Amino acid sequence: MFGQGLIKGLQITWGRLLDKKHTVKYPYEKIEMFPRFHGRFELDVEKCIACGLCANACPNKVIEMEKEKVDKKQFLTKYVMRIEYCLFCGLCVESCNKDALKFTNVLDMNQYRRSWVRLSLVDRPAPEAAEEAPKEETPAKTVKVEAAAGQAPVKEG
Amino acid sequence: MENIFIGIASSLRGFFSGLGVPDLYNDIIMLVVKLVSILVFILVNALWLVYMERRVCAFMQSRLGPIHVGPKGLLQSFADIGKLLGKEIILPKGIDLVVFLLMPVLIFVPPLLIYAVIPFGKDMVAVDMNIGVFYLLAVASLSTILFWAAGWSSNNKYSLIGGMRSVAQMVSYELPLILALLGVIMLTGTLNINQIVNAQNGIWFILTQPIAFLIYFIAGVAETNRTPFCLVEGESEIIAGPYTEYSGMGFAMFFLAEYANVMIISAMCTVMFLGGWLAPFGLDFIPSWLWFFLKMYVMIFIFMWVRWTYPRIRVDQLMGFGWKVLVPLSLANIFVTGVGMYIYRAIGW
Repeated sequence: MFGQGLIKGLQITWGRLLDKKHTVKYPYEKIEMFPRFHGRFELDVEKCIACGLCANACPNKVIEMEKEKVDKKQFLTKYVMRIEYCLFCGLCVESCNKDALKFTNVLDMNQYRRSWVRLSLVDRPAPEAAEEAPKEETPAKTVKVEAAAGQAPVKEG
Repeated sequence: MENIFIGIASSLRGFFSGLGVPDLYNDIIMLVVKLVSILVFILVNALWLVYMERRVCAFMQSRLGPIHVGPKGLLQSFADIGKLLGKEIILPKGIDLVVFLLMPVLIFVPPLLIYAVIPFGKDMVAVDMNIGVFYLLAVASLSTILFWAAGWSSNNKYSLIGGMRSVAQMVSYELPLILALLGVIMLTGTLNINQIVNAQNGIWFILTQPIAFLIYFIAGVAETNRTPFCLVEGESEIIAGPYTEYSGMGFAMFFLAEYANVMIISAMCTVMFLGGWLAPFGLDFIPSWLWFFLKMYVMIFIFMWVRWTYPRIRVDQLMGFGWKVLVPLSLANIFVTGVGMYIYRAIGW
């Protein structure tokens, strides 16, 4: 019959009108990312032994790290990722022996300034060459691991 | 509820005559009040329709549409207008300055003139004219020349093509539009819109004139330059047609005028085929102006539904469809209507 296609088209759009919507109110709601999503980096400072394999694995030389020797052990004092050059290949995460460096599913890393994009995961002074056990009261726990993206508050733009 | 607007009008008239205003001036004041309220009605509805269009479009595409500004994004079109008001009006080189600046203003004149004769409810018509339909069709085709002038004065090839297309399309589809209405006019024997509405007391003309309704609807879509007949502003071909060079409020005026035209076509559909302000099935506890409004919005929704379903057709298809299908069909409809009326009269029904 002539005009069948026209009616079918109208039926389809009517169905869509009443259907469930496939988008969410983005800034207020977010869809769940997949578990292996390459998002913002997270460094577990407790596990990190400052071996530097991640910095070596990086093809873009994104990772800048500084370490000091405290009581025969390497102590990580600074760990900055220049995210503006990062291609999220995941080689650093793969190369980590201690599973200290991980991906999270946070995807909004945009900032107002280019300099704010830089992700500072660890920035702490080395403890005064502790007498015997630096483990007990290392300041490592309180280090701003999460909320230290550059100087900027982590807010989507 | 039924007489709320009429009551307001008569109390206003009483107030002015109580102040000692002579009758002639009183009439003039009332006319101005009516026209201003119509203008406000058009603008508020146009703003709402911009939002509604975006929401309906989004829902049909499984999206949510505007949600940020105001509750459920209701203030989105106010934000849009605010943005457009703040924009610079760009005057390109080599334009016809007077015409270029005049067209966005004049584009609102035909809709305003047309609304003067449309009955919004029982006894709710600004000017009750005995040649209402004729006047309406005559004024409605004026907007063609405004689009054309806007396109030509812009000194831009896309604008010019858009303007020319607008003339071709509107002139071609004006014909089936008028011929389709002729069937209704033959049945009622009057050009007065109020009498046409009253003639539909027993049965709506959509049932006695279904072909005419269909032709009128299709031609109406073409008249308002909406998809699938949106060749005038076909974005992928000629940017925005006649509006290409307009910025800021100039563009917004064209944009709002489009919705005003959609409202007119829907209102005409309602009046001519859907019984106007008459309540169906004796449901007259709902006031007549609300019925008119509801029917008009159903028609507007169907316009939007069609727009977001079909793709744009080609120019040759447009012309072929208009002249080879719609015009003969509407002529045949007139013929059948005439024959039917003759037969009914012969058997004395």
